[in-house]
Amino acid sequence: MIKAKKVSQVILFTLLLAISLLYVVPVIMMSFGSLKSQEEAIEFNLTPPKEAQWSNYAHVIERGKILNGYKNSIFLTSVSTFATIVIGGFAGITISRRRDRISSGLYYYFLFGITITLQIAATFSLLKTLNIYGTYLSAIAIFTAQRMPFTIMTFTSFVKGVPRDIDEAAIVDGAGVFRLYTQILMPILKPIILTNTIVTIISVWNNFNVILFFLNSSKKATISLTIYNFFGMFARDWHYVCAALVLTILPVVLVYLWLQRYIVAGMTSGAVKG
Amino acid sequence: MIKKESGFYPLVLVVPALFVFTLFTIVPVLMSLTYSFTDWNIMRMDEPEFRGLLNYQRIFADPIFIRSMMNTLLFAFSTTALKTLFGLGLAVLLIKKVPGNGLFRTLFYLPCVLSATVIGVLFKAILTETGLLNNGLQLLGLGFLGRDWLSSYGTAMLSVIYIESWMWSGFNMMIFIAGLQAIPSDYMEVALIEGAGRIKRFFHVTLPLLIPAFTVVVTLSMAGGLRVFELVYVLTNGGPGFDTQVMNTYSFRAFSQGLLGESAAASIVLAAVVVTISFMLNRYLKSREVEL
Repeated sequence: MIKAKKVSQVILFTLLLAISLLYVVPVIMMSFGSLKSQEEAIEFNLTPPKEAQWSNYAHVIERGKILNGYKNSIFLTSVSTFATIVIGGFAGITISRRRDRISSGLYYYFLFGITITLQIAATFSLLKTLNIYGTYLSAIAIFTAQRMPFTIMTFTSFVKGVPRDIDEAAIVDGAGVFRLYTQILMPILKPIILTNTIVTIISVWNNFNVILFFLNSSKKATISLTIYNFFGMFARDWHYVCAALVLTILPVVLVYLWLQRYIVAGMTSGAVKG
Repeated sequence: MIKKESGFYPLVLVVPALFVFTLFTIVPVLMSLTYSFTDWNIMRMDEPEFRGLLNYQRIFADPIFIRSMMNTLLFAFSTTALKTLFGLGLAVLLIKKVPGNGLFRTLFYLPCVLSATVIGVLFKAILTETGLLNNGLQLLGLGFLGRDWLSSYGTAMLSVIYIESWMWSGFNMMIFIAGLQAIPSDYMEVALIEGAGRIKRFFHVTLPLLIPAFTVVVTLSMAGGLRVFELVYVLTNGGPGFDTQVMNTYSFRAFSQGLLGESAAASIVLAAVVVTISFMLNRYLKSREVEL
C-alpha cells in the first residue's frame, strides 16, 4: 500500500515536471538568448551562450528607451491606481452605507459596466472633442473609468461586513465625513484596498491597447508599447529582443515572487467575487 | 434614524466615480451607437449624416467581418474549453501532496502577471520558421512537421489559441484549487463509506460541488476570449490573410483606415455578442449550482 502510494507520487511528480517544461523552456531560451551574439541567438536553441555578451543590455537600455518606458509605466500606473482607490473607494463606501433607492440604482449602474467593451472610434472622438487626445490624462481617465465597476462592487460588499456601530461611535465623537472615511474606515478596509491596488496595478501595467489607440507616441509609450516598438525595429536582432524581454519581465517576476501570496489571493478573490 | 444615517454619507462622494465612469465608459457606447447609423469617417468627423443601417449592412456583407466574427467565436469557445480543462487538470494534480507543490503553482501562475505583448513577442521567437519549436522538432526527427507556425493557414489560429490557454490556465487552476478546498470532507467520507470508486467520486461528488468555480472560470474566460485583441495583434495582426482576424482587430483596422462609422458598428456588434453570451452562460451555470 505504501509502495503503491510512493509509485503514484513519482508518476505525479514526473508529470508535473514535464508540464513545467512548457513554462521553463521559453524562459531559458530568452535568458540565454539575451547574452548571445547575433549569430548565436538566431539559432534559437537552449545551449548557454559561448561568451556572455553583457553589452547587449547596455545597447538595449540605450537604444530601446526601456528606462523611458519604465518611467511612463510607473507614472501612469501609480496615478491611475491612486485615483481608482480613492474615487472608487469613496463611492463604494457611500453606496454601501446609504440605504436608499438612489444608491442601489447607482450600484447596478456601475455593475453594468462590467460587460462593456472598449469603443475604439467613439473614445477617440470623445478624447478629440475634450481636447485631451494623446495626453497622459486621457489614459488615466480611461483606466480609472474601466476599474470603477470592479472597485465599487468589491468595496460595497466588503463595507457591508463592517459593523455600523463603528461609524456611529465616530460620529458621536464628532468625526466629520472625511475623517470617518479616511481615518476610521480606510484602515479597516485594508484587505479590500490591497486587493484592488494589486488588480489595478497589474491591469494598468500590462495594458497595451489603450496606449496603442490613444497615446501612441514613443515619448509617452509605456513599457508594453516600448517592447512592441522595439521588436518592430530590431526584429532580426534576436539577442537584443531577448535582452529587452528580460529587462521587461524580470522586475515583474521579482515583484511577483516577493508578493506572490497577496497577488494570487487578490486576483483570485477578485475574480470569485466578480 | 435610517434617514439620518443615509444623510450622513453624502452622495457627493459618488460624483467623481459617476463622472469618470459615465464620461469614459457609458458615453463612448452611446456615441458609438449613434455614429454607427451615420456615414461618419475621418474626413468628415464633425458632420456625420444619418444613413440608417448602412454600416451594419456593409459589415455584414463584408466576408472579412463574417470571418472575424467566426474567428472570435472559435477563439473564445476553444480557449474557454482548454483553459477550463487545463486549469482543472492542474488543480486536481496539485491538490495532492507532492514535492515541490508550491513551486509548481508559482510557475504555472506566472504568465498571468505578464502582459500579452511580452508573451506575444516571446512566442514569436519560438514559433518562427527557424525558431525554437522547429529546431526541437528537428532534434526529435520530426523536422517534416516544421513550418512558420504564425504565418501558415490553420496553424496560426491554433498557435494563438494555445498561447492564450497556456497563459491563463494557471489562473483557473487557482480558482479550482480554492473550489476543491471548499468541498466539505464529510461528502467524500459518505461517498467512501457507500463504496463509490475514485472515478465515481470525482464525477458524482467533486464535479457537481465545483460548479460555482466553473461559473467563475467559464464566464471570465469567455468574456476575455471574446474581447481578445493584444495577443492577436502582436502575434499575427490578423494574418495570414484574414485567418486570425477577430472582431476587435477588425474594428481597429476599420478605425485605422478612417472608416469610423464601420468601426463603431463593429464595436457595437461585439458589445452585443459579449452581453448576450455572458448573460446566457451565467444564467445556465447559475441554474446548475448546488446549494451546500
